Amino acid sequence: MKRLALIFLLGFASSLCAQITDKQLEQSPDSDWLHYNGGYSSQRHSGLDQIKLSNVGSLVSKWVYHVPGGGGLQCVPIVVDSVMYITQPNEIYALDSRSGRLIWQYHHILAKAPDREGPNRGVAVFEDKVYFTTTDSFVIALNAASGNVLWQSKIAEASEGYHSSAAPLVAKGKVLVGVIYGDRGLNGFLVAFDARTGERLWQFDSIPKPGEPGSESWAGDSWKHAGGATWLTGSYDPELNLLYWAIGNPSPDFNGDVRQGDNLYTDSMVALDLNTGKMKWHFQFTPHDVMDWDGAEIPVLVDAPFDGKMRKLLVQADRNGFYYVLDRETGQFLHGSKLARQVNWATGLTEQGRPILVPGIEPSLKGTKVCPSSTGATNWMSPTYNPQTGLFYFVALEGCGLATKNTEQFRPGGFQYRGGGDVLLKDDTWKVYVRALELTTGKQVWEQERVGSGSLGGGLLSAAGGVIFSGELNGEFVALNARTGQPVWHFNTGQPINSQPMTYMVDGKQYVGLTASSDVFGFTLFEPEKAAAK
Amino acid sequence: MDGAEGERAPALVGDRRFFRLSENALFDTIKNGIPGTAMPALGLPDDDIWRIVVFIRAMRASASDVDVPGDAEHGAAVFSGKGECLKCHMLLGKGGIIGPDLSNIGAQMTLQHLRESLTQARPIPIGYRPVKVVTRSGETVEGIAKNEDGFSIQILDFHDKLHLYDKSELRQIVHGTTSLMPHNYDQALSPGEYQDLVAMLAHQVTVKVHVKEQGEGEVGR
Repeated sequence: MKRLALIFLLGFASSLCAQITDKQLEQSPDSDWLHYNGGYSSQRHSGLDQIKLSNVGSLVSKWVYHVPGGGGLQCVPIVVDSVMYITQPNEIYALDSRSGRLIWQYHHILAKAPDREGPNRGVAVFEDKVYFTTTDSFVIALNAASGNVLWQSKIAEASEGYHSSAAPLVAKGKVLVGVIYGDRGLNGFLVAFDARTGERLWQFDSIPKPGEPGSESWAGDSWKHAGGATWLTGSYDPELNLLYWAIGNPSPDFNGDVRQGDNLYTDSMVALDLNTGKMKWHFQFTPHDVMDWDGAEIPVLVDAPFDGKMRKLLVQADRNGFYYVLDRETGQFLHGSKLARQVNWATGLTEQGRPILVPGIEPSLKGTKVCPSSTGATNWMSPTYNPQTGLFYFVALEGCGLATKNTEQFRPGGFQYRGGGDVLLKDDTWKVYVRALELTTGKQVWEQERVGSGSLGGGLLSAAGGVIFSGELNGEFVALNARTGQPVWHFNTGQPINSQPMTYMVDGKQYVGLTASSDVFGFTLFEPEKAAAK
Repeated sequence: MDGAEGERAPALVGDRRFFRLSENALFDTIKNGIPGTAMPALGLPDDDIWRIVVFIRAMRASASDVDVPGDAEHGAAVFSGKGECLKCHMLLGKGGIIGPDLSNIGAQMTLQHLRESLTQARPIPIGYRPVKVVTRSGETVEGIAKNEDGFSIQILDFHDKLHLYDKSELRQIVHGTTSLMPHNYDQALSPGEYQDLVAMLAHQVTVKVHVKEQGEGEVGR
């Protein structure tokens, strides 16, 4: 026993591991990057300014981590106290964020679901734990220092076709997780789990059941296979204690005949009380959507003057081709304007924010040209807001689709239930841009084309050095001047980028982190290598 | 008769690459031999070959697939009590993190491997090598090296804290040569306690590790 005793004398005091507090989670991103979208406001603007317009030209890739078997990665790296957490479906990796070296990895072993069916968009962190979700619909809490599983809880029934792919959000000791797939006729919901124990606390259903408010917006039994996935991470206002979660499209996506009505709360923004999950307000972007324009795009929270009065705003660039400014205390519609040139289904928005429809611009049996296409005028790639410029930046796609509908029936077990589709009309006008809008007017200040990108690609990051980082589907990772949109740096990753960049600082050095298709990159300003330590 | 390698043939049990995994592949090899090697076609009746196949599969089975005598419930008490295993190992979300998580150990190890881990000095698993470093500023950190290359090292110390170093920041690195895992449980515990601990670990399964499909990972022939 002498040897046993010796080993145990070495320590084993209570954990001194980095403890992430509520207060830290409420701060804007600085040295650490603690949320999928940087902070609860989802502004994706970092106060770090070491990398700036005057030196960004000397940004270099410091390290690359190849994710074993990785492909089509979409996670945003999270960095806590110099440890970076990344994911691919059912797998999580902890990396040394200065060197890209692996610290630990964890593979969730599946009973039945496909292992690499993705994507997975990353983790959330709280206290000494890291959280992620799996393709068989579990949320798992791991010890952040070792990767040991602390608890795992079922979110939904994987056998019904449910998966979970979004990065969770942690707020005041609750882990919020959503589900996919709305395109399979599976009704979406958002669940809160106790972050310490994994206990299921409450559930918000995207689709109201008969008798509940909003149920009148579904004809007949159409609410049963209605969609409304919760497939992206939401935002949170600690002061109002409200969660803002964007709800996905109705099912079947392209045939609205079987679901007459507005189809609440699909394509909506909902504000939920964090404590109870009860809805305080909702705003529907696309009532009775027939183009898969789920309103799941990121809600960005900004406090700014509107009509001469400071307001708590929520802004969103929506897939349907409009930019929205809402009052996030009440859900009141304040402003809406087209964010793309090619929008033919609505001429504008009413004073209440409801689209003014153009008759006949909807999927048909022989096909109708609808703009934007079902890909949307923007999509899930995160936007960013820079308080220094007052500009909102997002990725825009100009393009239309030839939309058809059919009478596909719902089949249980997780099969597609779209009721049609559209042929993407990739003519000369089909182009991808990064655009900058004035926050409250939606007026376009500049745009920069993503030349050579056939589709939207990754999202955006703003940093206090006056630079917007932008990952393109063609593999180029680009820095743009935040005021003018002019490119100031680029790096060819050699692989499609479908994720959003982030930034962090370790030992006084600012890094920019990026997940490309199969690799994770860490960029820093060039400095001559120190003497080799080998 | 433990399936280890002999003088003329490789191990039948363990981590060797290109195992013949399925019953059919084993049967084929025993019946027909491996051309160009010392493995002959045995010429046994098929029934006897199938008996050998079953025997080889049994040797390869994880501990949870084997009938292990002992009181697993008492073994759990030994695990968390006298054995002090929870100080280093985690079980179902509770315990230490300096050693591997044992929540699924019964499905991950053979019974023989399990016993040897408790009673014999074994190679240190990757990610658990003891290490002590002294930084250029004079700070000493001891723990296990989760990873290391020529230029950086990632250490989990005995207080569950990660330390990530560029090696240029370190004055000294001393690697431990023996595992932190004690291997005297057959002596530190009574025979009954030891047996019960083994039984408990053998039964400790949360999920079966990937069961290979027929033919998956087979050597090509």
